Formats: sequence, C-alpha cells, structure tokens
Amino acid sequence: MTNEEAKFILSAYRPNGSDAGDVAFSDALRMAGEDPMLVAWFARSRAHDAAIAAKLGQISPPSGLREAILAGASVSDSRKSDRRNWVWIAGLAAAAVLAVVVVSMKTPVRPDSAGAAFAGFAIGDVLNGKHGGKGEPTSALVAELETAGAKMPGSDQIDFEKLRETGCRTLSFSGHDVLEVCFLRNGALFHLYMIRRDGDLSDSVTTGPTFVTQATGAAVVWADREFDYAVASTAGVESLRKLL
Amino acid sequence: MNNEAFKQLVDAHYAPLYRFALSLARNGSDAGDLVQQTFFIWATKGHGLRELSKVKSWLFTTLYREFLRGRRRDSRSSSLEDLPAGEKEPLAEDVDRVSRIDAGAVMAALQTVDETFRAPLTLFYIEDMSYQEIATALEVPIGTVMSRLSRGKIQLRIALERVESPGAKVLPFPDTKGARAS
Repeated sequence: MTNEEAKFILSAYRPNGSDAGDVAFSDALRMAGEDPMLVAWFARSRAHDAAIAAKLGQISPPSGLREAILAGASVSDSRKSDRRNWVWIAGLAAAAVLAVVVVSMKTPVRPDSAGAAFAGFAIGDVLNGKHGGKGEPTSALVAELETAGAKMPGSDQIDFEKLRETGCRTLSFSGHDVLEVCFLRNGALFHLYMIRRDGDLSDSVTTGPTFVTQATGAAVVWADREFDYAVASTAGVESLRKLL
Repeated sequence: MNNEAFKQLVDAHYAPLYRFALSLARNGSDAGDLVQQTFFIWATKGHGLRELSKVKSWLFTTLYREFLRGRRRDSRSSSLEDLPAGEKEPLAEDVDRVSRIDAGAVMAALQTVDETFRAPLTLFYIEDMSYQEIATALEVPIGTVMSRLSRGKIQLRIALERVESPGAKVLPFPDTKGARAS
C-alpha cells in the first residue's frame, strides 16, 4: 500500500476514532503510525474533520419545523391527505409556532406577519447566508454602525440606491431588494437589513421595535417612513436591545 | 406508531435530517420541506418498518431519494464522477480557518461542493456515519463512498479557502468566532 492509497482509505476514517476496530482501516492505520509524513497528515486531517463536524453541528433547524412535522403527521394519520394538503397545513402550523414565539417575547409591539416574516428572513440569512459586500458607502455605513453608542440609522442617512450600486450586498425578499451590512458592536456581530417600504409590505409592518427569536438567532424589526429595518444576530435579544 | 413514539422519533432525527437537507437543497425553505416530506412518508408508510435499528438509515435514505426525485423533476442532474481528485491536502492553517469562521459559513462552503460528493460528506460530518452506513443510506457501493469522501473533502477545503476572499473577510470574533463581512 502506498501513502496515497493509505490517505484515500483514511479519508473515510471518522475523527472520533470510532473506526479504530474496523479491519478495513488496519493497514492504513499501521502506515499512519510509522511514516512521519503520514502521521502529520493524518493528525491534520482528523483535526480538520473534527473542526468541520463541530461547526456543522451548530446549525439548528428553523423554529417551528418540529411542530410542523408533528402537525402534518397528525393530519395524515386521520385523513390520509395528499402531500400538498399536508405541507400546507404544516406551513400553517409553522407560522403559528413562529407567532407564539414572537408573542411570548416581552416586546412593546406585537409584530404583524410581514414583520415576523422579515425578521425570519434576516435570521435565516444570518444563520445560513454567505455574506460579503463592498464599496465606500457601505464602509462608511459600517463605520457609523460601529461607533459606540450610535443609534441605528434612519432614512435620512440611508442612500439605498447608492449603496446598492456601489456593491453593498443585495438580497431579495418577497420580490423586493434588501441591503445587508455586517457590523461589530460591544464585541458582538450584527447584520442590518434594509428594505424600501412600498407596495404590499408597507401596509402592515409595524413601526415599533419588535424582537423575534428563531433557532439560535434573534432579530429586531422596526420601520420609519421610508424603510423597514431588521438587525439580526446570534448574540441574543439583550444585545439587540442595547443597539436601540 | 402512537403519537408519543412518533414525537420521540421526530425529536431524535429532525435536526440532523434538516442539516443534511440544508446541505443538499442549499436553502432553508426547501430543506424544511424535504424534512417534512420525509416524516410524512414515514407517517404513511415507514412505520411498517420492523427493525427499529434501521430507522435512522431509512429516514436519511428517504430524504435523499426525495431530494433526487425533486432534482430530476427540475432537470438539473449532472454526472460528476469523472472529476479529478485534485491535490489539495489539509494544512495546519486549514484547521485554524475552520475554527475562526462561523457555522453558517462552513455550511455555505459545504453547499458549494458538488452534489455527488456533498451527500456522503454531510452524513460523515453531521451524522458521524461510518462509510458502511453512508453506503447503505445513499444506496451506493462502499468503494464509491470512500472515493466520494476523499474527493469531497478536497473540494470542501478549497471552498473553505474561498470564504476568506476579499469580499468576505474573516476576522476573529470574541463571542462566537463568527465570520464578519460587509
């Protein structure tokens, strides 16, 4: 067996050592204990695998998924409904659970569905999104946001078009462009999302700050005359309160 | 299966199933749908499975089949078996890099790995499955699993390097060691 063959086999070796007794690995393990280069490679490979496994284990399912599964199964048991029906009902259950989570927070304003959906979008992006943006206006906004004690910006400080055109990260939510910037404050990482208030969104989003938790993330949403805002983080609701 | 047993089944498996689905579908909405569909199939058919020791494998196999079924419907399949293995080997800084960036960034990197390699890689990392268990869950030969793990790891290491591109700079973070990018 060559070193390359040993590496190939050891790629399937689990980093926690569960496969130590598997004869399929015995020759490769023996080599990995004798050849200094292979020893070093195997140690790095296992450390790398362990680090990735630990990180991926931190990903949490969205709030409400469990309840949606249980609600859907309950319906399927009694009615043998088709999948579309089941998913629709499960979706309602998920929405209901999210609403319960939201209402259970001690917040000044009960969020409407649009606000909760925007918060959920922001939290989902924090947990799963690939962040990145550029441009001087974005950098200037980040600098403002990172100033200790500074309030969150209002519509008179946001040049939405300029930010978007110069490379600020832009996402889509319900067919609307959303700008996102990341900033550090009080040792925690936050993500600010901004969306224009127009059309179907503007009628229902509340203006007061409203806090939502979902999975391992939390968000606060509010609005002014021109924009809806969300700040999301994994640092918890209290850290969000300190921003406002 | 009674309600309490079903709840226990869901509690035991829905989180790792979601992570697996998220790596495959690459968005939370479709991932949630796949997990729900998997338990729906269990509720209508799977409870006939007699060997409870095979439940976990059954659930992952079913989710993967559902994902492939949906992908065929979208006509987005591709054959990736012939890709070169590549030469990238893990370096000490690769380990440091993974420790610095947040879980979402690692998942995002995993999602860029070719689907053929991504499925076994996810089961290896998330469910701590052995190569034999992965072979059973994905219904592929053991040798194929080993090959896909080897190649998938190379792709993942390259993808993780790209996380540190100029537009997505990774900085040390005191609380969660999260990725920061603006």
